[in-house]
Amino acid sequence: MDGGSFINGLMIAIEPINILWIIVGGFLGTIVGMLPGLGPATAVAVLIPITFSMNPVSAIILMAAIYYGAMYGGSRSSILLNTPGDGSAIAATFDGYPMAKKGQAGEALAISAVASFIGGLIAVVGFIFLAEPLANFALEFGPAEYFLLMLLTLSAIVALSIGKMVKGFLAMMIGLTLSTVGIDTQTGVYRFTMGLPHLSEGIDFLIVIIGVYAIGEVLYNFLNIDQQKKDKKKVGKVWFTKDQWKRSKWPILRSGPLGFLIGVLPGAGGSIASMISYTSEKQISKRSEEFGDGAAEGLAAPESANNAASVGAMIPLLTMGIPGSGTTAVMLGALIMLGLRPGPLLFEQQPETAWALVNSMFLGNIALVIINILLVGLLVKILDTPAKVLYPIIVLLAFIGTYTLSYSTMDFFLLLIFGLFGLMMKIMDIPIAPLVLALIVGTDMEQNFRMAVLSSNGSLGIFFSSGVSIALVILTLLSLFYPLIIKLVKKKSQKNTDQPEQVYKSS
Amino acid sequence: MRKIGFVSILILIMLLAACSSNASGSKGYPDKNLEIVAPASPGGGWDLTARSLEKVLTDENLVEQNINVVNKPGGGGEVGWKYLKSKDAHTLAVNSSLVLTNNLLGQSDLTYNEFTPIATLATEWQALAVPADSKYSTATEFLEATKENPDSMKIGVGPGLGNDDHLSLVQAASEFGINPSELNFLVYEGGGDVVTALLGGHVDAVTTSLSEVKDQHLAGKLKILAVSSDKPVEGIEDVPTWQDEGVDMVFPHWRGLMGPPDMTEEEIAYWDEKISKMVETEQWKKVLDNNDWESFYKNSEETEAFLKEQNDLYQKLVKDSGMMK
Repeated sequence: MDGGSFINGLMIAIEPINILWIIVGGFLGTIVGMLPGLGPATAVAVLIPITFSMNPVSAIILMAAIYYGAMYGGSRSSILLNTPGDGSAIAATFDGYPMAKKGQAGEALAISAVASFIGGLIAVVGFIFLAEPLANFALEFGPAEYFLLMLLTLSAIVALSIGKMVKGFLAMMIGLTLSTVGIDTQTGVYRFTMGLPHLSEGIDFLIVIIGVYAIGEVLYNFLNIDQQKKDKKKVGKVWFTKDQWKRSKWPILRSGPLGFLIGVLPGAGGSIASMISYTSEKQISKRSEEFGDGAAEGLAAPESANNAASVGAMIPLLTMGIPGSGTTAVMLGALIMLGLRPGPLLFEQQPETAWALVNSMFLGNIALVIINILLVGLLVKILDTPAKVLYPIIVLLAFIGTYTLSYSTMDFFLLLIFGLFGLMMKIMDIPIAPLVLALIVGTDMEQNFRMAVLSSNGSLGIFFSSGVSIALVILTLLSLFYPLIIKLVKKKSQKNTDQPEQVYKSS
Repeated sequence: MRKIGFVSILILIMLLAACSSNASGSKGYPDKNLEIVAPASPGGGWDLTARSLEKVLTDENLVEQNINVVNKPGGGGEVGWKYLKSKDAHTLAVNSSLVLTNNLLGQSDLTYNEFTPIATLATEWQALAVPADSKYSTATEFLEATKENPDSMKIGVGPGLGNDDHLSLVQAASEFGINPSELNFLVYEGGGDVVTALLGGHVDAVTTSLSEVKDQHLAGKLKILAVSSDKPVEGIEDVPTWQDEGVDMVFPHWRGLMGPPDMTEEEIAYWDEKISKMVETEQWKKVLDNNDWESFYKNSEETEAFLKEQNDLYQKLVKDSGMMK
């Protein structure tokens, strides 16, 4: 880190015009993050023609603000409507929606905003001091390590579905099957595309998210619309309680660095970060049985992680010119058009630009937490909206969001199919998250497995050949068997009830 | 107040009338909004080409009509080009060698001669790169070693076999006397992933667009062994071309513009005039510069001949690579 450039960058970031872009971008990001289907990648893409006329520094500041702004926004609809705006907001439905159901929507919105803020701050500080070594760490990840990271994510999902393990497993297998649709990159063979060129790049997981969550939720509520009217949800406070804060404090502080590290890995991203942070918090929590029933920390942890991940994703982009996510890929394209080429030479040739961005992320997170807390009072009103107004709007937004993904009407059919599918899953009480997350990581997981085995000439030893991979194998085993171990330990401690506390401490 | 309102509306109506009479006065093509199809998602090479065209043609007042960029991703361009086929001459689409290879690889029924060639615009060059600490310091050394033991050399490529990144090395290898179907390619999701894999030492070499590796080469993080251009590339004059290395090959990764089937001669002439002017503007040169593209302008007639020639070349390459269906 270079002190002079840092100060210069700060000076650029606090120019009034750039502050304005930070606020505009953050606000815009919050909005698109909230709407199902409209994500930061679409928002940045739509803005490309506008950024042509902008100063490159302002452009990158604006685009980054949209990106992490969307991380704040994504959880809003997860909490209020049980429909995540993006893959990284799925984990926020686990406890966010139950909280809203209990009449704690205001608390949920507030604590997730604060969690995002702290996660973002941790990540910006991490960026300032650790960008270089972390970029090198990310390079250690070869196909074998990526495969194991994704395996860890999937095992975390299965471990989550305790009580309905079989159903969770089933949902995951369906997700993995769906992920095989499309061109197989290793061989160029088209799989399960049914002759439709539209399917050659696979089924966009966002369509599935919008379908099973948004459309499925609307359909499900439609079936139960009569019972629903009776219990009018009352919205309590717009700020969280001291107790909720006390429970969430450490999960937030632990998930920030975790999410940041995962975000640095190109291709991992917010979905994996928030998922892993949720399950690890659940597993080490003293009150793990409250997770999924509206535990504040179960919402705060993944929110902290996914926002930290979005900052982490800037590291490979800025230091190596390698986009780590869909959004950063679009940003890279736009920046090149502006004559700004992120890459190994950026910090040497244009240090002020790089540091201006880092500083803007700092300011942006402050702006965003304020924006989002101010919005809480307004957003909770959504719950008071009569169903006959709210549901048509959700359906409308779902269709618009779907159309913006690839500008094709064929996706509408997919959307409806997955909507019905989501309804079925809800009726049969099959958890939805394993399906969607398996679909998100499935393609990469398969390709990385095959690349790993190809490059080792068929030997599976490659999955144990580096420190990182061994650590990931151990974590995967732990996440699968930890619940079992805990059960055994609990049984034992029930027999001799004198020292239950110590068991937890050691965990 | 009301009078001013009335007068201004009157003026507005007159202006509108003037405009419309103007448009109908000049008659003929184009007489409505124009569309440029980018057969991919926003942010990629095709999209940037389409948006740059839109911007330069509009900013330099070369085209009076509104130009809209439409993204139609899917099937390596197939979805966008099918859409183009159904439109009239007010829609054009960006293309590249995929318009040839999709068909040659048996992934599409569309062929290039179903469309009207308009222009070839720009090109990038291909590069072969190895890690900074690789034991190979020239392309010849690398190919010699590969010839000895083709299976042991892991070569990263993305996002799919049959693209220019892949076929450029296929051509180099077969010129060198290696059977390209024996090469051991690992297919990554995109150009960025390929570079990450190389920097992390997970592959022995990569074949990719020059722009993906140029800065890394300048920063000393990897070594470019050869570029596919006809003369040394600005900024990295120390890197030899394939020809310098004794491999007789120039391999452009070009992008162009084409229209729907059966455009009239006047319509083609219209674009020849506009595009030939556009490629001379400072703004277009800036676009090329920012993207590390090189001007590769060919008018409609030259493009038609070029496509035919390229199709023959790609047919041979696809066959050599062992991918022919």
